Amino acid sequence: MHFFQKMKNSLIIASILLCTQASISDYISKADIEKFLPAFKSTFENFNEEDLSNVYYGAKGFTLLSQPLPANAGDACKHLQKFFKDDSNTEIIFHSLASWSLINCNKILNTKLHKDTTLKALKTILEKQESTTGDIRYALESLSILSEPVPNAIKIVQLLQAQLKEDDTLPSGAGQFATQYVEDVVVQADEVDGRIMQWEGGLTLTSLLLTGLLRLPETKPLTQVQAEKFATYLLTRKTVQNAKGVVCLLEAAFALAKSNVSPVSITFVDFAQNLLSLHLHPVIAQSATRTTDDVVVLSKQPLTAGATPTEFILPLLLDPGHYRLDWVTQTGTSAPRLTKLQHPSKLTSNLQADSSHHLILRFSLSRPVQQPFLRLSSGKREIIFVAELDSSKAYKIDVNLANELSYSAQFDLELILGDSIMSNPLRWSFGSIDVALASQELAEQQAKRGPRPEIVHMFRPAEKRPPHVVSMLFTGLAASPILLLLILWIKVGINFKNFSFAALPFHIGLGGIFALFICFWLKLDMFTTCAWLIPIGGFTFLAGHHILSKLAKQKK
Amino acid sequence: MPKTGAVISKFFKEYNTKTPKKLKIVDAYLLYILLTGVVQFAYCLLVGTFPFNSFLSGFISCVSCFILAVCLRLQVNPENKNQFYGISPERGFADFIFAHVVLHLVVMNFIG
Repeated sequence: MHFFQKMKNSLIIASILLCTQASISDYISKADIEKFLPAFKSTFENFNEEDLSNVYYGAKGFTLLSQPLPANAGDACKHLQKFFKDDSNTEIIFHSLASWSLINCNKILNTKLHKDTTLKALKTILEKQESTTGDIRYALESLSILSEPVPNAIKIVQLLQAQLKEDDTLPSGAGQFATQYVEDVVVQADEVDGRIMQWEGGLTLTSLLLTGLLRLPETKPLTQVQAEKFATYLLTRKTVQNAKGVVCLLEAAFALAKSNVSPVSITFVDFAQNLLSLHLHPVIAQSATRTTDDVVVLSKQPLTAGATPTEFILPLLLDPGHYRLDWVTQTGTSAPRLTKLQHPSKLTSNLQADSSHHLILRFSLSRPVQQPFLRLSSGKREIIFVAELDSSKAYKIDVNLANELSYSAQFDLELILGDSIMSNPLRWSFGSIDVALASQELAEQQAKRGPRPEIVHMFRPAEKRPPHVVSMLFTGLAASPILLLLILWIKVGINFKNFSFAALPFHIGLGGIFALFICFWLKLDMFTTCAWLIPIGGFTFLAGHHILSKLAKQKK
Repeated sequence: MPKTGAVISKFFKEYNTKTPKKLKIVDAYLLYILLTGVVQFAYCLLVGTFPFNSFLSGFISCVSCFILAVCLRLQVNPENKNQFYGISPERGFADFIFAHVVLHLVVMNFIG
C-alpha cells in the first residue's frame, strides 16, 4: 500500500477593472482632434485688431497637438507686429509675445516684437503695489519667454503674498505660487451628480486651476477619484468650438495625463507609448487579456518589475479606449510533492500546507474494504473523509484544505479500514500535517458558528437636562401660586368655623386618595393602585355623601 | 385713560359687593390654577420640553382643573339656578371631587 500527497498550486485570479470608478468611458480621439483643427486655423485667417490673444490660442493649439502651423503663419506675425503696443494690458502683451515665439516669427520676419520699452513696462508691473496676481503672472511668463532675468524676485513674492491675503477669489490664485492654498482651491470645486468636478467659472477657469495645481512641484493636490471626476468634466466639454476653449481643454487634459495621479493617463490619447503602472501585491508573472467588444487584443504578457518591489509595468501599445484587464498571479510551487509510504512506517517529517493546497491520498489494498476512511484530528476535534475507489482500483481522497478546515493547526493523519469480515478495524496513524490558513478565513469561519451576540435594547440617550438651579427655580415658581391662593382665601374670609369633626373622615379619605396617587407616581403600579383605590374611594364616597347631605339638610 | 381706570375700579367694587363668598373662593382657586399653568408654559418655552410627558401631564392637569372649577362655579352660581334645576351645590361639589380623583389618577399615570 502506498499513498502520495500532492500540493496543487492554486491560481489567484483577480480581475481589475481599470478606471476604478468606471467613470471615464471616453477619450479624445483622432477624430476629435481633427474637429479642433479648424478652430485653430480660423484664428490665422480672420485677424482682428482688438484681439491679439486669438492668434496665441491658435498657435498654442497647433503646438499642443504637434501639428504643423498653417502656411499663412507669416501673416499672423505681421498682424502681431502691426498691433502690438507696450501699453496694452499684460495679458495681451503675454499672448502676443508667446505667439511670436510659438510661430517663430523671429525667423520669419527677422525682427523682434518687443522693444526695450516693453521690457521696462513689464518690469514696472512687477514692482507696482497695485498689480493683480494675474498681471504679475502674465508679466513673469512674458519675461521668461523673452529669456530676460526676473528683477528682484523676493519683492515679487512678497507682493504676491500680500495680494493673496487680500483676495482669495479663485481666478487670482491661479494655482501658481500658492502651495498653502491648494486645499482651499480644491475644496471650492463643485461636484455635479457625484460624477463630474469643475470650478464655477467654466472650462477656462477649471483648466487654469487644474494646470496650475498639477504644475506645483512635490504636491499631490488631487485624489485619484477627484482626478477622474475632473477628467470626466473635461471630456464632456470636448465639443467646444472656439480656439480658446480647445486650448484650455487640451492644456488641462495634458496636465492631467502627465500627472502621477494614475491611471487617468491611459484614458488620454497620446500616440506615444503609454505605460500602465500598477501597485499590487507581489506579481510574479502575468497574463493579460484585454477586451474591447470582447475582442482579445493582448494575451500572456509578462510584466516587468518597476521601481518599487510592488510595482510592475506593462507597456500598452494600443488604441486609446476602455479595456478590461485580467490578471493572473501565481503563488507557491507548481510541482506536486509526492511521498510514498508502506504500512506500518510513518512520515519522517510533518507535511506543510496552507490554504492554497490540496491533500491527496491514494492507497491500494489487496482486496476492497467497505469502510475506508481518512481521519484528521487535532486535539478533540476531528474530520473524517471517505475514500473512493477510482478506475485503477486504488482508493483516493482529495481534501481541499481551504474548504474543509476552519482553523490552522497540526492535524494527525490516520487511515481507518473496516469491513464486516474484520473483527478489529485497521488503524494506521501515519504522520501529521501542519496547516496554516489565513487568519481572515479563520475569523470568518468562527463567526459563522456558535450563538450570536445577545442583542441589547438601546434606549434613546436622555437629552441634556437644564442646570439644577433653573429646575429648582421653576419648581418654586410653579408651587408659589398656592401661597397666593391661601392669601386670597383668607382675604375673602373662608369659613373655617363651620368645620366639624363630622367632616373629618371625608377629608382623611380624600387626603388618602391623593397620598395613594403620589405613591403610584413614585413606586406602585396601576393594579396595586386600583386595588387600594377601591376601599379608600368607597370610604371617601360614604363619608362625603354623609357630610354633604347633612349640609344640604342644614340649609333647608 | 381715566375712563378705563374708572371702569376697572367699578368692576372690582361690583365684584366685591355682589359676588357670593363661595364664588370668590372658586375664583381664587381658578387664579391659582391659571398662574401655575402659566409658569409651566413659560418653563417649556424658556428651558425646553424635556421630559415631554411630564410637561404634558402637568399642563393638562392645570387645564383640566381649570375647566372642572369653571363647571363647579357655573353650577354653584345662584344666577344659574334655572339651568341646573335639581342639582344642588353639594351635588356639584361631589361631582367636582370625583372628577378630580379620576383626573389625577390619569395625570399620575402619565407623569412618568
